[in-house]
Amino acid sequence: MKEVIVHPERCVGCMQCMPACAAAHSQSKNLFQASLEIPRPRPRVHVGVGLFNEGFPNRCRHCDPAPCLLACLPGAIARSAERNTVFIDPNRCINCASCAMACPFGVIRYHEDHTAPPGKTVAVKCDNCYERQLAGLIPACVEVCKSGALRFEERSEAMKRKTDEVARTVSVGAAPVELAPGFALLNAMKRKQIDLAR
Amino acid sequence: MKYVIIGNGVAGIHAAETLRQFDPPGEITMISDEALQPYCRPMISMVLEGSVATEKLPIRPVSFYDDLNITPALGSRVSAVDVDNRTVSVSGKCYPYDRLLIASGADPRRIKADGLGLRNIFFMRTAAHVRQMLAVLPDVRKALVLGGGLVGFKAAYGLVRRGIPVSMLIRSGHPLSMQVDAEAGRMITDELKAHGLDVRVGAEAAAFEGNGRVAAARLFDGTRLSCDMVVIGKGVFPARRFVPKDKIKVDAGIVVDEHMQTSAPGVFAAGDVAESTDIARRTPWVNAIWPEAVAQGRIAGMNMAGHPAAYPGSLSRNVIRIFGLDVMTAGLAAPPEAEGFETLSVTDTRARTYRKLVFRGDRLVGMVLVNSIEQGGVLTALIQSATPVRPPREALLKPGFNFRQLMPA
Amino acid sequence: MNDKRYDANTITADGRLLLKKLERDGVDSVWDRFRAQLPNCGFCEMGLSCRICVMGPCRIDPFGEGPQRGVCGADADIMVARNLGRMIAAGAASHSDHGRDLVEVLGKVAVNAAPGYQLRDVEKLKRVAAEFGIKPDGKQPSQIAAELSDAMAEEYGTRKKELTLIQRAPAKRQEIWRRLGVAPRGIDRETSEMMHRTHMGVDNDWKSLLLHGIRNALSDGWGGSMIATEVSDILFGTPQPGVTRVNAGVLKKDQVNIVVHGHNPVVSEMLLRACQDPDLLKLAKDKGADGINLAGVCCTGNELLMRAGIPMAGNHLTTELVLATGAVDMMVVDYQCIMPSLGTVAACYHTKMVSTSDKARFPGMEHQEFHPENAAAKATALVKDAIANFNRRGEVFIPVEPVECMGGFSVEAILGALGGTPKPLIDAIAAGKIRGAVGIVGCNNPRIQQDYGHVTLTQRLIENDILVVDTGCASVATAKAGFKQSQALEKAGPGLREVCGALGVPPVLHVGSCVDNVRILVLASALANALGADISDLPIAGAAPEWYSEKAATIGVYFVASGVYTVLGPMPPITGSMNIVKLLTEGLNDVVGATFAVEPDPEKAAVLIRTHIEDKRRKLGLPYIQV
Repeated sequence: MKEVIVHPERCVGCMQCMPACAAAHSQSKNLFQASLEIPRPRPRVHVGVGLFNEGFPNRCRHCDPAPCLLACLPGAIARSAERNTVFIDPNRCINCASCAMACPFGVIRYHEDHTAPPGKTVAVKCDNCYERQLAGLIPACVEVCKSGALRFEERSEAMKRKTDEVARTVSVGAAPVELAPGFALLNAMKRKQIDLAR
Repeated sequence: MKYVIIGNGVAGIHAAETLRQFDPPGEITMISDEALQPYCRPMISMVLEGSVATEKLPIRPVSFYDDLNITPALGSRVSAVDVDNRTVSVSGKCYPYDRLLIASGADPRRIKADGLGLRNIFFMRTAAHVRQMLAVLPDVRKALVLGGGLVGFKAAYGLVRRGIPVSMLIRSGHPLSMQVDAEAGRMITDELKAHGLDVRVGAEAAAFEGNGRVAAARLFDGTRLSCDMVVIGKGVFPARRFVPKDKIKVDAGIVVDEHMQTSAPGVFAAGDVAESTDIARRTPWVNAIWPEAVAQGRIAGMNMAGHPAAYPGSLSRNVIRIFGLDVMTAGLAAPPEAEGFETLSVTDTRARTYRKLVFRGDRLVGMVLVNSIEQGGVLTALIQSATPVRPPREALLKPGFNFRQLMPA
Repeated sequence: MNDKRYDANTITADGRLLLKKLERDGVDSVWDRFRAQLPNCGFCEMGLSCRICVMGPCRIDPFGEGPQRGVCGADADIMVARNLGRMIAAGAASHSDHGRDLVEVLGKVAVNAAPGYQLRDVEKLKRVAAEFGIKPDGKQPSQIAAELSDAMAEEYGTRKKELTLIQRAPAKRQEIWRRLGVAPRGIDRETSEMMHRTHMGVDNDWKSLLLHGIRNALSDGWGGSMIATEVSDILFGTPQPGVTRVNAGVLKKDQVNIVVHGHNPVVSEMLLRACQDPDLLKLAKDKGADGINLAGVCCTGNELLMRAGIPMAGNHLTTELVLATGAVDMMVVDYQCIMPSLGTVAACYHTKMVSTSDKARFPGMEHQEFHPENAAAKATALVKDAIANFNRRGEVFIPVEPVECMGGFSVEAILGALGGTPKPLIDAIAAGKIRGAVGIVGCNNPRIQQDYGHVTLTQRLIENDILVVDTGCASVATAKAGFKQSQALEKAGPGLREVCGALGVPPVLHVGSCVDNVRILVLASALANALGADISDLPIAGAAPEWYSEKAATIGVYFVASGVYTVLGPMPPITGSMNIVKLLTEGLNDVVGATFAVEPDPEKAAVLIRTHIEDKRRKLGLPYIQV
């Protein structure tokens, strides 16, 4: 079954996944109108910085078993094996933040949402764009990612590609191939600058 | 295989579900003194506060026992456990077991004072306690809470949210002294005081006065505080009076190894009654909190079913939202003066956040977050996994901290 | 609270202390806003995003899998070249517009329509006029000024074949430009043509775009900026060496403090004039102040420092911080490098913020528009307002003592110090007492610990007997760090110490504001002409260790195009095209005899520069060493 796989080395930090995710979870599903909605839709993927200001799209891994699920006091979090997705039920959520304490990736946020009772702050996280998938679309974050940091693929395919990449680097006589020499050059310069500041 | 589980709290529930998953034909009996549906104990303080309705407390349906083919024995406490003959006695009945799980939880600590028999003096441990409190609330003008720990604190907060003036008597310098450090404690106290809570440090009740119903408390220093409701929140103590201490090693709680097994083979313990090794303290400790009960119940269940899963140890942790303040703590929030601990902290007055990290060597062993707590789980996981933290540690304190900074470069 | 928290932001003591105060006062700084922007978008950082038309906006995937061309078909080389072209155009436009305003004042002075302004250096007026073919022939200075103003205005337009002042460059250098087809023709023309070329569907050859970028930059360096500097000298005086002080400590507790910020001396010189008005000084005394203290930040401050020894309170990243002293009664700004956040910061203190240019309006600032006709009167009114604000101070926190600084080294002053010709300097270089010279220019950038790049590079160079001349924020950085005081000679190597000691100058010469980078071009031309060589033969280099601005990009290009090897600290947005990276860092050597290098570590940059200088010495037949 296809899932969203993150390739952190490809993230250029453009943050397009964030407004796309928010718009996909709005009522109007349109970026401009979404920005005017109340409550304002918020992204479920969070682009943060690494130690050298590199970008990283932090999203729910839909763990199995999910620490958030086990930690949830009112049992608002459940896993659907069929959809390979962990869902939070906004009607059961009591905003106790026990899931924040449990999530080792820090992907859950707390705010109002049009799927929750009006005026109620609830825990919100990635839902694998299951509504879009039902309509035959791919997750919104993947759709807008132009650098290949977020892909919708079989896990086995992603792993095979990675294995091949690693295998090539350890082959006798292999010359290192830089996929994006310009990006590597930029990052090398930025790392130098940041190392200096430290 | 005959499994007997003492206790239908969350540890017992998860153990039962795990057993059923790993051993479909096994016979499971659950014994408990609470005849209600399995419910979420931490949420009772939210029922007191009024933010959650009583109907939301159950975490499993009424049909839970039937659905999992469990034989329930509800309404009474265990009177004896015979380790040699492998039986458990309850209300005159005898249940044989191949594998026993003691998940009997903990009881509120008692205090020594006169007048404890007066009405409107409560503990806050069960849904019934809170139901009783709510029944008398309409006539309460002033409440007293003994203890600044988690239970006392939540009781005080709940009553303040209900509009009842509350005085909180605490022994330490600030509430939640076992969970947070002095700085966060000060922020919490200020927030509560701003909402009308009266906090008295170093105050203890010696006696209660009243005519049938409590009307005042007399402190050890002679002060007399009028009140018409008292909540005793002096912590909990593992409920293991029925455990034969010559056969099963008991310290504060029932001592378990990394497989949740006690000193008696085939006998396991999990939840508030169990004493395992605390990851941060590196000593045996009882961490009587919900997520530990869940984890321990599951691990115990796996081991009981013959699947040797290991439990890394417990970790104290807590998250609480109080009016405009959110506080999350884990591990050793206030390390002892002893050598070997390094503390980093930062207060950001503009963002109204406070962050504190406690290291032992290159391992994180404690943390306190005030506000912007969404990513606290990353730090909790760091403590639990005892991952060495590469420098720079200051990055963990910055507002822009996120998971990527922990990944390999 | 951990007091070392601001150490990473800046090397300066006043910066660290004022940052702490700013945080205490609940005010955001440029560093906070920088952090909030992270991660920066890699497409934009690499020059691989394009917003030029609404068939887009487009981006190109550096990993080769996503889109490789914009909607119009532009590939990475074209996209990067177009973006770089527009940066150069913006930088050139800014400095050239600054020059235009000065030419306008010159013209108004000529017809007595600019009260308060005058022709201070008539000799220079005549010299420069002669370069434009204007013969003195018994004309009054005002007549010469009128003709010069007209001639310079013509430089901005369409009709000329070549800008006049490129003739100051060595003949060999001019030939290179003509052969390449990059000799600049008109100041506005080149900028306008760049905007045309970068429109969708015009110039889609990356080399062609870069060549025009060179021409556009040259129209600034040997055009707009050079006019700006020369006309400023004519109107306000050619700088001569003088001593003043720098850093936030120049603000005075007991005086009315007025800080000028921005660029054009047409505004700051009028304020200087007003601050010396005896009636206003008396007014200040009546209000309980000991006097009126005028100080500057950024380039307009440098203009005043060079000509009148006015002290400098800070450079780019401290423009917000000086407000936190609570001692700035008024800040008057014109244009460029003025952060729109200043109005918000000032609102937390008593400081009155005033904008003066129709071209530059800001939130939270009162607008008092200066024109040549009203500037003197407006300045007087503003100083009165500042005096009135003196008693509204709250807490005053001036945390440091100022540092002594010698400045004012125009080319005329340097040659004057050398006895009238560059010969003593050439001799010293030939003998190896001075190995060579480096121009360190440019801004601050929150990516880099403030002033660390400038100070470290300067130290490494002067201790190896390389003369450093600096401008802009870089010059303020080294001044704050004590490189322009009398004791600074101790920091220099033996050769440099001997030569500068004999001349009575510091080892680091403050050459002026950012338009005054052209003084470095003029000096380099003088040296090259004296040797019968080209600028690219000289043992010299340029560096911009902490640049941020488009103007700096343009300056870098005109330096390199003039034959000066230039090392940048921050990487420009070109990594999207390795072709362009290669051209700028290697290929340009065959084209213009110089290249760029990018090296964020100033220690390593120093090694690059020293290696380059020794190599040039070897090629000139001078004694050289292995670095």
